[in-house]
Amino acid sequence: MRSLASRRASIEAALGIGVLAVVCCGPLFLSDFWVNGVMTQTFIFGIAGAGIIFLSSYGGMLSLAQSALMGVAGYILGNLVTHGGAGGESKGLLLGWDPTASMFVAIACTIGIGLVLGAVAARSFGIYFLMLTLTYGVIAYYFFSQVTDFGGFSPIASINVYTPVFVGDILGHPDKLYYISLGVALAVYFLILYVVRTPFGIALQGVRDDPLRVSSLGYNVPLLRTLAFGFGAFLSALAGVLYVWWQGQIAPGDVYLGSTINLLVMVVIGGIARIEGAWIGAFAFIVIDTYVRDVEVPGLSLGGTLFGGTFNTIIGVIFLAIVVISPNGLMGLWDRLLDLLLGNRGGPTAPEAVPTRAEEIPAAPGA
Amino acid sequence: MRYLSGRRRIAVPVVLIALIAGSFFTASALARSSAKVVKVAIMSDCKGAFGFAQEQGIGGAQAAFGQFAGGIPKNKNKPSAGMSNIKAGGATVQIVGYGCGDDSPATALKEVRRLMQQLNADVLVGPLSGDEAVAIANWAKTHPTKTVIIGTAASQDPTMQIAPKNVFRYYGDGAQWNAGLGEIVYKKLHWRKAAIIMDDYSFAWTSAAGIIADFCAIGGQITKRVFPPLNTTDYSSYVRQLPPPSQVDGYFWVVGGTGTGPALKAFEQAYGPIDPKKHSGNLFLWFLTGFQDVAPRLIGSYVGGFGIAPGLNYGPAKAYIAVMKKYYPKITAEDSFTLNYYRGAHALVVGLNGSRGAVGAALQAKLPRAIKDPYQLSDGGVLKLDSRRNAIQDQYDMQIVKGAGGKPAITLTGYVPNVDQTFGGTFAPNKPAPSRTFPPCVKKKLPWQGKIKVIKNGKVTNQVIK
Amino acid sequence: MATATSSSPGRRYTRSDVKRWWPWALIGGVFLFVVIYILFLAELPPAIGTGDWRSTNSGSAVFDSPGTLLTTFLDAITFAAWLFIVASGFSLIFGLMRVVNMAHGAFYLLGGYIAYEIQQAMTGQGFSIPSSEVNTWEWVLPALVAAGCIAVVGLGTQQTLLRWNQGQDLRQALITIAVSLIVADQIIAHFPRAVPAGAQQFGGNAVSMTWPGWTDQRLNLHVWGVEYSLARLVMLALGVGVGIGLWLWLYRTRTGMVIRAGVDDRDMASALGINIQWTFAIAFFVGSALAGFGAAVGAAQSGVSQGQDVQWLLNSLVVVIVGGMGSLLGAAAGAILYATVFTFAATYLPVSQSQYAIVLTFALIALVLAFRPQGLFGKAG
Repeated sequence: MRSLASRRASIEAALGIGVLAVVCCGPLFLSDFWVNGVMTQTFIFGIAGAGIIFLSSYGGMLSLAQSALMGVAGYILGNLVTHGGAGGESKGLLLGWDPTASMFVAIACTIGIGLVLGAVAARSFGIYFLMLTLTYGVIAYYFFSQVTDFGGFSPIASINVYTPVFVGDILGHPDKLYYISLGVALAVYFLILYVVRTPFGIALQGVRDDPLRVSSLGYNVPLLRTLAFGFGAFLSALAGVLYVWWQGQIAPGDVYLGSTINLLVMVVIGGIARIEGAWIGAFAFIVIDTYVRDVEVPGLSLGGTLFGGTFNTIIGVIFLAIVVISPNGLMGLWDRLLDLLLGNRGGPTAPEAVPTRAEEIPAAPGA
Repeated sequence: MRYLSGRRRIAVPVVLIALIAGSFFTASALARSSAKVVKVAIMSDCKGAFGFAQEQGIGGAQAAFGQFAGGIPKNKNKPSAGMSNIKAGGATVQIVGYGCGDDSPATALKEVRRLMQQLNADVLVGPLSGDEAVAIANWAKTHPTKTVIIGTAASQDPTMQIAPKNVFRYYGDGAQWNAGLGEIVYKKLHWRKAAIIMDDYSFAWTSAAGIIADFCAIGGQITKRVFPPLNTTDYSSYVRQLPPPSQVDGYFWVVGGTGTGPALKAFEQAYGPIDPKKHSGNLFLWFLTGFQDVAPRLIGSYVGGFGIAPGLNYGPAKAYIAVMKKYYPKITAEDSFTLNYYRGAHALVVGLNGSRGAVGAALQAKLPRAIKDPYQLSDGGVLKLDSRRNAIQDQYDMQIVKGAGGKPAITLTGYVPNVDQTFGGTFAPNKPAPSRTFPPCVKKKLPWQGKIKVIKNGKVTNQVIK
Repeated sequence: MATATSSSPGRRYTRSDVKRWWPWALIGGVFLFVVIYILFLAELPPAIGTGDWRSTNSGSAVFDSPGTLLTTFLDAITFAAWLFIVASGFSLIFGLMRVVNMAHGAFYLLGGYIAYEIQQAMTGQGFSIPSSEVNTWEWVLPALVAAGCIAVVGLGTQQTLLRWNQGQDLRQALITIAVSLIVADQIIAHFPRAVPAGAQQFGGNAVSMTWPGWTDQRLNLHVWGVEYSLARLVMLALGVGVGIGLWLWLYRTRTGMVIRAGVDDRDMASALGINIQWTFAIAFFVGSALAGFGAAVGAAQSGVSQGQDVQWLLNSLVVVIVGGMGSLLGAAAGAILYATVFTFAATYLPVSQSQYAIVLTFALIALVLAFRPQGLFGKAG
């Protein structure tokens, strides 16, 4: 009999390949709205969510600034790439640079900003870190809405008209963006799996478990955390670039606290302990968002006239329920289901399962 | 349950894959539309600075559907309950959804995706606010088969700098609304130097641009422009940037939404009680109920228009009010949040009649370029669209006076005929959009300079404002 | 050589000395430059255009307008008083229970609307009321009722959702985020209720309270011709009053002593037999009440509207990050620093760069955290 861990791994691998096969053929049988509205968005937000999960589960740093960093990348790209003048746009810096160069510059700048923000936050742990990154997120919103040079409150538009050569025309062929996002999402997934096995990744997990001990072993803990944050910023930058190609526009509302919380909700619903949770959670959130919009919960809006205004209440309740009942989200439920199917009565057995620090991260399954 | 062996080990993933694929198929089938009706979506704000106007917009549009297309409201006290039996051009018009914006472009795009792609609407009547319209106009540029008739958004870009062929606006933009105000305060209050304070975003810039262009054109000087950011809590430091009352003849206020009251209060805390002869502003000063603690001191000041003339003694205007009362008695009729949606829906019905129920480019060709309007006096009451599908509209300036019960109320004071979006050449597609520094303060000749007519008791006289 | 103390005579300065000093020297230099800029270097902007790096809206304090310096300073401390009232509650809850109450902003908004509704019910006016028709009691009662209601809401949240998972900081933060989502959405669905005929109810629309009539005047300070609003000075008095009240409570009563002990060492306090649950409940009660009271102040000063919950969450976070958690002095210091940076930036940043005011807030946070990650008066760890 094979070990529990390898059985789990093979089941999950088979399932993963199956899902991937279905998703790769998506544009063939799904409607336009599902391909472009739901799935592409899932891939993009999953990438940003994977950044949160990487930082949280492998670095012990729950960061609420990932959404803001997405916005930063989008804004930089938008300002660099759009043209002014006749037939062009009217908001932002309107530099009109080459799209490929702009893409690299946007990603590089976002990583740089991430490193700076990470350096400032590097010596704050746990809840302090959470508060600080939340503050970053809100400051980013006020920055982009008040600094009118970069567009201000108006959206910077038509960004996806100027795409790099290797991407081509997204507007005419939206399926291209579907496959590009899918490809980047897969690459990010395997990249994270790789990084956590490198010496850097292992040291980072040590920092997550016991910073003092790691520091006494001679590692520079603030530096490790800064670099981890920079890596998270890189993932957010990728998501941000794809996001503006998908949406075509960026406005301060994309950086608002609402999008920060949405991303957090996605990750928590999916399961903060496992990387796959990012995409599962993004998919679940977007589907709920799309189809629950028109539900008015009777009794909650007594005589109120708001159509769809109770969506946030519903998502808030779901979020609360998940945090209270199954803190490891859907992936946590999946783990328990697998345990049940495989006859495992004990605690987590798969060595791939991420051990969580009891008082830092929502409790591990079976604990 | 024992460990799954052999075939069952394969069965579980296969079943799960089948379930996933099956749910994709079902969901995509659900999402596909199959009806042959004309699908319309109405979008207004239900949150944010203009959340109060949600039902007004929907009510205005649906009243037009009722009057011109036989629609029957489902609930006369709540427009968002829906409307049935709308028929135009031989097709059934189905309202597939109501967009809920919150004054931010990001939410607007999300709603547009939901309404136009998920629910497959062909026509959008909306949105309500400035930056939402900029976002949606940019979206419309890349979706030429969808038609957008702007609800009541007043930013200039959608029909000037962006101006896609499928975006229409049957009323004037924020700058047009303020035509004549600068001249009125110049002539009647003898203002020569003024300062202006405006929110730091596109609608306020557009609105202020109209005031600045008009005031400077006749010879006034704007000595200071102040820009409090949009989400300011504490206006005191921005109000202090304004010159003291001894250094200017007056102040223009283009601070709106949730900020009008606090900003005015902050001014009083800094410089003392407001003298109505020294304060003017754009339509935000109409919303007096929001700051009644300051409003009594504003009695006597002149304020810019909103593309509507409450209290106008004119047949078509009265007929419009009667129509609104018939369909939605609780909705304020004499308010542009209602009227502009009414105009848009009316035009849509005329267009559908012309295109015989076809949508897309056929509808866009048949949407009227001239339409009878309840508040248009020129050209026999016909409102015309310019080459970029924006209205050339009569404008009305207002004054805050003592109304019933001694409370402040607004009344019509000036009539400016046929104001177009270029504002007499001030704006153009190849010129910058209104911003902190545009337009500059220059003296020039505007088409309506010296032609503003006095309005007495709701009737436009032949007297010109001197 | 490097271990020689600086007091020994004839000592040469080494690289490690420079390494210790240069951050302080840099900060001192920047601060000195800012002071000189405000006092002497700033100029009034030219009539047209935005001028150069020296053009600020009010010019320099010494040459152009000393009165502006005084009014800006007063604006800063009155805003600080308002910040302090709200942020002290946040700091108290965090310091004692290590709960980052993300719903603090939503509680603030709820308190603001409740205070507005009570004032409307008392004066029967509909929407905002002329200040001449508001007497002191008609502001004080709404403020107290709002504080009480929010205190109950906060306590309820703590007892149902936060009591059973103590120690799991991040989980509690996520729970309070969920609460803030739900509460903010429900506020939009149910407030404002008292609106004049024709206006639309609900939607989180903007309304405002009114200060009592006697505050609607300006005091002549007889210095540099400055007249300052009495209402803002009342705000300052309220902030100081709350500060004194909190200090007396924390330092002169037994409950306060227990709370301070709990802030210092929760486990030890519990081991000594103190009913720590009761103490937590009281602290959450008081912390939330402060949010409600601060909201009544805010509602009268600049209105209530949807969106303020995010604003005030940010304000509370910045004050507490800068000042440190769990300490009254920290909340006061953080409030004063933040308000000063914020207000002076609006007045004295060069006109062409005035849109970057928010960057200074970030710079303040970065600066404080670079030297004391736990905040100026916070406790390490």
